Amino acid sequence: MHGIFAQLPQQLINGLTLGSVYALLALGYSIVYGILRMLNFAHGDIFMVGSLIGWAVLQLFINGGAVLASPSLVLLLMVCGAVVVTSLLGGAIERFAYRPVQEGSRLTTLISALGASIVLQNIAMLMTQGRAKAYQTELIIPHDWAISAFGATVSATRLIIFCVSIGLMLAMDYAINHTMLGKAMRATSQDREAAEYMGIRTQQVIMAAFIIGSGLAGIAGVMIGLYYTQVDFMIGFSAGMKAFTAAVLGGIGNVRGAMAGGLVLGLAESLGVLFLAPVYKDVIVFSVLIAVLILRPQGILGKPVEEKV
Amino acid sequence: MIKRLNRRFEKMQTLVKILSAAVLILCVATGFVYGKELPPVKIGAAGPFTGDLSKIGLDALNAIQMAVDEANAEGGIRGRKIEVVVGDDMGDPSKGVLVAEKFAMDRNVLGVVGPMNSATAAAALPAYDRAGLVIISQSATNPDLSERGYRVMHRICPRDDAQGPAAARFIVEEVKAKVIYVIDDKSTYGQGLADQVAAALERMGVKLERGQISSEDRDFSPILTRVKAAQPDLVYLGLSNPAQAAGLLKQAVGLGLSTKFMGGDCMKEKDQLVAGAGGAAEGMYITAIGKDIAEVPAAREFIEKFEGKYGAMSVFSGQSYEATKILIEALRAAAGDDPASLNRAKVLDAVHNIRDYNGILGFPISFNEKGDVLGASIYVYQVENDDFVEIKEYPAEV
Repeated sequence: MHGIFAQLPQQLINGLTLGSVYALLALGYSIVYGILRMLNFAHGDIFMVGSLIGWAVLQLFINGGAVLASPSLVLLLMVCGAVVVTSLLGGAIERFAYRPVQEGSRLTTLISALGASIVLQNIAMLMTQGRAKAYQTELIIPHDWAISAFGATVSATRLIIFCVSIGLMLAMDYAINHTMLGKAMRATSQDREAAEYMGIRTQQVIMAAFIIGSGLAGIAGVMIGLYYTQVDFMIGFSAGMKAFTAAVLGGIGNVRGAMAGGLVLGLAESLGVLFLAPVYKDVIVFSVLIAVLILRPQGILGKPVEEKV
Repeated sequence: MIKRLNRRFEKMQTLVKILSAAVLILCVATGFVYGKELPPVKIGAAGPFTGDLSKIGLDALNAIQMAVDEANAEGGIRGRKIEVVVGDDMGDPSKGVLVAEKFAMDRNVLGVVGPMNSATAAAALPAYDRAGLVIISQSATNPDLSERGYRVMHRICPRDDAQGPAAARFIVEEVKAKVIYVIDDKSTYGQGLADQVAAALERMGVKLERGQISSEDRDFSPILTRVKAAQPDLVYLGLSNPAQAAGLLKQAVGLGLSTKFMGGDCMKEKDQLVAGAGGAAEGMYITAIGKDIAEVPAAREFIEKFEGKYGAMSVFSGQSYEATKILIEALRAAAGDDPASLNRAKVLDAVHNIRDYNGILGFPISFNEKGDVLGASIYVYQVENDDFVEIKEYPAEV
């Protein structure tokens, strides 16, 4: 045990970076749940697909020898590529895995989402031959771009991850509270039938929720690729699990709650490691979840029943 | 409606009649063939051919197939063809048992090359033992495997209780590191090797700290932050997946952690470790359980053929080829003049009695009573300019 205080600043940074990615992922979970009361189990796998697309785009530019020309443009294209593919995927899942069974019981949609998750995972396994793919991050952001202060090292990669995630969350928060689409989403979430009577095309709103949530997952996928530096077809499961936990922690269906839940989860994971062996980090995460559910079943920011988006 | 169904049923009936006739004819025909020619001798190949470790596994499988093709070109086992049966265990112990049972049920499988992972070998050994099916592992290094009294167990790689102390000696005598941090991944191989290194270091009076991750981890910041606070001179990685190690090395650079790293035999994987870490592996030490066969003259032909066919070799290609050749040699010895009399018990004895087999590994191979290889060495390599350079050799003593 080497001075908890010496490790504290660095673990805080670790927690904030990871937490912001969890939050971004939890956001997508929460938007879909808020509107449909349906757990989209394929969300984690959409995130995984996003990370692999980011890798593929990067690899394309490395092979073309064009990375060094403009690293920031490449990074932007990685994100764009991931967003396009994952949004389409999200739309397709809504159309083919959710819409046909939406009249059935809630369990049916759950199983259908689970099926979509397994299909995505296996397709990714076949396409990558089950191998880990290394993000050659050093070509975009050199390793030595970092700030050191108070014994903590903040690399440029982490700053990018944190800023992108927080920026997107603020934008989403604004969109939900201040735009027509956001209003339509909130209305559909509160009472789908009533929203339809008011002239809102709820089917399109649901489609939009899937597309937006999946697009966010795609961006989170690229961010996690930059952070882990290696991705494979399995990362979706545990990330999806964490995002789900974060969403429940913050109060599922509540957008600000998902953000708070993600950050709390990331910080709990990193700071817990100060006192316990790193191998127990998942134990810490789920202990926090259990504790919150016992003390505050509706989640940190969740309000029982009304006003859920 | 009912009429249509009836007509369909009649059609089905004729189809079934034709099919059964065909099957009958086939049975008789194959009976004729088998009367003249013996069924092929089958060699099981057990290893992780999909999943995380598939890179290592598939290159091993290619080498096994190559050895078998060569033997078939020379007439197989006295005219009996040899066939490779693939058993993919994904590096998962529970699947390793299924693979062993699949091999055990096929009476024509007379020997197995693999399993490659210590954990799968440990789980599958009882099943192989029940079937009396001899195994030659090319890379399962956990000492316990040959201490459990299973006669079928053989391996051509030295054990971790030889590799661990050699690594510790190198750390103390050559690197002269004073503070050491040992990380493992909780796997039979990773933790086993880390335990051996730690025990040897403690015997030498070196201060060390230990930490664990799990083999599913992709985020190493928590443990690396701890490592950074401990300020070690060297970090020893008892990990089984070179790709995971590459990720860890890269994240260490991102955290501003500058220390020396060292790892075990499975890390000697250019594609995944060196290229995967994008420069972060430079200077890392690696213990290897076999010489780089590029330096063995007898291996030149194998390397040329292999690389011409499958591209760059991976860490266990040479060992897989050697293990297969030894098994074929044993099959031939067991067959004698009568290839029809081959059975598992004879093959097991023949493998056990292999003496001074001179292949491509650069030392004559024999097995001791427990099935462990004799005369092997441990080599220390360092990553220099994206390549592995041999810097030290220790005899593999337990």
